[in-house]
Amino acid sequence: MIQINRKYIKHFDWYIFLILLSISLIGVFTIYSATRPIITNVQQNYYTKQLLWICIGMVGLIAVVIYDYAWLRKSAYVFYIFGIILLLLVLLIGKKGMGAQRWIDLKIIVFQPSDLFKIVLIVALARYLSTIRYQLTKGSFAIALVLFGFLPFALIIKQPHLGTALITFSIFVFLALSKGIEKKFLIGLTIFLAIVVPLVSKTMWNGLKEYQKNRIVAFIDPAIDPKGMGYQIEQSKVTAGSGMIFGKGYLHGTQGPLRFLPEKHTDFIFSVFAEEWGFVGCTIMFILYFMLFIRGIDTALKAKDEFGRYVSIGITFMLFMYFIINIGMVLGMMPVVGVPIPFMSYGGTSTITNFLAVGILINIRMRRVVMVY
Amino acid sequence: MRRRNTIIYGIVIISFLVVLLRLFDLIVIEHDRFSKRAEDQSTTLEEVQVRRGLIFDRTGRRLAVNLEQNSVYCYKRLLKASDEQLTEMAQLLGIDYDNLKFKLENSRNFFWLKRKVPVEITEKLNTLSIGGIGVSPEAKRDYTMGTLASHVIGFVDIDNKGIDGIEKLYNGDLIDKGGTFSVEKDARGNKFYTENMRERKGKNMVLTIDVGLQYIVERELELALEKWKAESATVVMLNPYNGEILAIANRPTYDPNEAGKYNPSNRRNRAITDLYEPGSTFKIVATSGTLEEKLVKPTDMIDCSAGAIDVGGKRIKDAHRHGVLSFMQVIQKSSNVGTIKLAQRLGKDTLYKYIKLFGFGKKTGIDLPGELPGTAKHPKYWSGVSIGAMAIGQEVGVTPLQVVTAYSVIANGGYAIQPHVVRGFTYDDTTSTLDVKEDEKKRLVSKNTVATMRAALMMVTQQGGTATYAEVEGNHVAGKTGTAQIFDRQLRHYSSTDYVSSFVGFVPAEKPVLSMIVVVWKPRGAIYGGVVAAPIFKNIAEKALSYLNIPREDMEDSNKLYVDNAKTLIDVSYNYNKLNN
Repeated sequence: MIQINRKYIKHFDWYIFLILLSISLIGVFTIYSATRPIITNVQQNYYTKQLLWICIGMVGLIAVVIYDYAWLRKSAYVFYIFGIILLLLVLLIGKKGMGAQRWIDLKIIVFQPSDLFKIVLIVALARYLSTIRYQLTKGSFAIALVLFGFLPFALIIKQPHLGTALITFSIFVFLALSKGIEKKFLIGLTIFLAIVVPLVSKTMWNGLKEYQKNRIVAFIDPAIDPKGMGYQIEQSKVTAGSGMIFGKGYLHGTQGPLRFLPEKHTDFIFSVFAEEWGFVGCTIMFILYFMLFIRGIDTALKAKDEFGRYVSIGITFMLFMYFIINIGMVLGMMPVVGVPIPFMSYGGTSTITNFLAVGILINIRMRRVVMVY
Repeated sequence: MRRRNTIIYGIVIISFLVVLLRLFDLIVIEHDRFSKRAEDQSTTLEEVQVRRGLIFDRTGRRLAVNLEQNSVYCYKRLLKASDEQLTEMAQLLGIDYDNLKFKLENSRNFFWLKRKVPVEITEKLNTLSIGGIGVSPEAKRDYTMGTLASHVIGFVDIDNKGIDGIEKLYNGDLIDKGGTFSVEKDARGNKFYTENMRERKGKNMVLTIDVGLQYIVERELELALEKWKAESATVVMLNPYNGEILAIANRPTYDPNEAGKYNPSNRRNRAITDLYEPGSTFKIVATSGTLEEKLVKPTDMIDCSAGAIDVGGKRIKDAHRHGVLSFMQVIQKSSNVGTIKLAQRLGKDTLYKYIKLFGFGKKTGIDLPGELPGTAKHPKYWSGVSIGAMAIGQEVGVTPLQVVTAYSVIANGGYAIQPHVVRGFTYDDTTSTLDVKEDEKKRLVSKNTVATMRAALMMVTQQGGTATYAEVEGNHVAGKTGTAQIFDRQLRHYSSTDYVSSFVGFVPAEKPVLSMIVVVWKPRGAIYGGVVAAPIFKNIAEKALSYLNIPREDMEDSNKLYVDNAKTLIDVSYNYNKLNN
């Protein structure tokens, strides 16, 4: 029934799979440390839940790997429409929390459609781009911009979820650029943006939520009000900065358990890791991530078709963006935009989504050679 | 295509390098700053309140304990209260409403509304739920026995700091190692005390005081004061063998639970702070001295028939004319003339030597605050009359404690003792590992002198002595009366109406269990020590001996008592451990 060629198993990308597994497990250990209780004796069950997410993600990954990704290409648009509907549903019947409406409550689990949507977007956009023979023309760019750029951006920013919205839009821009845009049109567009963006940004600024503004102000000088707007950034820097070369040692960090660091098990899990493992531990983590991304790029280069290439580029770019923005945020180089670090941060939907994404990468790499039966 | 790949790889590598550099900057270069911040914000210096140690009497009865109470504070900025609520609160706390209003307007942001309020009241206050008003637990020192032994125990101020008595002198022991500690806290300000910090307790103290004896003493003193309408009075009772103070009572007195309400003079521990001219009780110095120097034999006769003697141009008289007295009778009848004649045999310097030997003119070193050394002039400053005056207890200033300490030397067989009120420390009240230190015995006067003095002092309470009222039923008392005029500083001569009456002695005379002094200042109706002080001594001694289950001397089995020079009966019959279990 399910036809799996032995050669495919042989070609299964154990390399990326092991990296993924290592990062995820290190993440679970760090979540355990960050949420370990000091006042009460009750260990919060975040780490067991995260383990569960990883298991589900693993099953999903294998499921994705089994079938040739050709079917993905076929049903890309259907998925995309379905994804857009989900985003609309979030706005209509979504669950509210922390000043935003980002979740859909399925009674058993609560999930965040915008996470899953990024893959759907990548797949759909890759299909669209692969159907265009040469570079993007004025017309095809406009269609792509509206359908794959503005539409999801508007729906996600409405939730509001600035971080994901920006990443979603940047995925579109990056994929469009990698497909190539007609030179004449590209130059014109650049000049246009150079004039319009400064004008628009003012109205954009006014349109931002108060906390979003605060985050950006806080980023500029976090020390102004350490208990207020810049608190997260300052605390994150303090957490990571107190690590020293070899760190305080596992389960010896204090910032997370003492609750100085907000979002310690989700967005700021890496600062907890840095506090306990120091510069050396962080460097090792960086190398793992670096290897992951290089493998992703390599997969794109080796993909057998254009669709596979764009999907690989999109996924790698997405993971890279998440990683770099999160690290930038944790180290106080970027404003706090609420972006988790892939595979380490606690979170159901994002963990499963990222596993599925890597599953697609593996799938593409496995089937890079056209099989001859 | 290839160029584009290079760009992508380049971007990835460069971003990694940037991030790595930033991390290096943060973790390694700025490490000190951040780790200090992390430590600063997670630790806080905190004044940890130490539970004061309890104070027990020698049998383990509680004299000072801690009550759990709450102190009510106000954060002005958070205050949300209607006038009605404020009125109700003022009523609950028993503070004036206008006063409360005034405080609210004029105080700083944080202030105490009322400290140490019983828990029942703060519970009611909580039901009012006024914003900005809070309570924090505080221990209130409670003196369970009220005025009993108040001059020994002392009292504490609102911050539980010892102000007087052993509460003051042993403040450091009672709070052990209190002070500031570095305490870990989390972002919400929750503090993490390690166990020993949260439950910080001072050492418990065990006193030498026996509440039973103290009670007897206090009650008898109260009765006597009423009878003689005296200005003030003091009784000190101690174990003559080891200097353990069994009871100290002073009148007037005060209740340490509300010390502030009393006149400061009520809080004076007169037994160690009030100097008086001891009068005849001081004759022990000259008489023991001549015996010790072998300048007199107990059987020697001394001519006191003149009834007066001229010393340095001044005439000192006896109360009654006595005739020729034996050495023993000089003491028994308290003859001034006889004593002065003995002192003259000793000479200035030797008399001074014995004054010092018996511990006059210097502090006894008792572990209570405020002790005075008294005055005993050096012979250099003596006038012609001094040798006579000092022999009979004038021109010297002594404390009651010094006198009873001197008599204890005769009582215990001639050894020096160190009066003290603290037996030792324990960390709990069930198992006592009291370590009662035994001093090395230092002999002050010889056995023969002690034997003679003891016999002479016994004669004082016998037929023909000055203190027959002191004799206890069934037991012999050895002691000496004292009646001294009070020198009026304003009139610059001795008052004709104001006297200090005293009696000092020990009982049972042959095998003493306790030595005791009774001093009454300015009694009315009678002045003589034998009339005023001796009956008080008798009343206390009788009840005390009965309380201590001391068999009467005239009973046959009295020899079974376990009494020797080092161990006292009290130690045997009042084992702290036993009674505590």
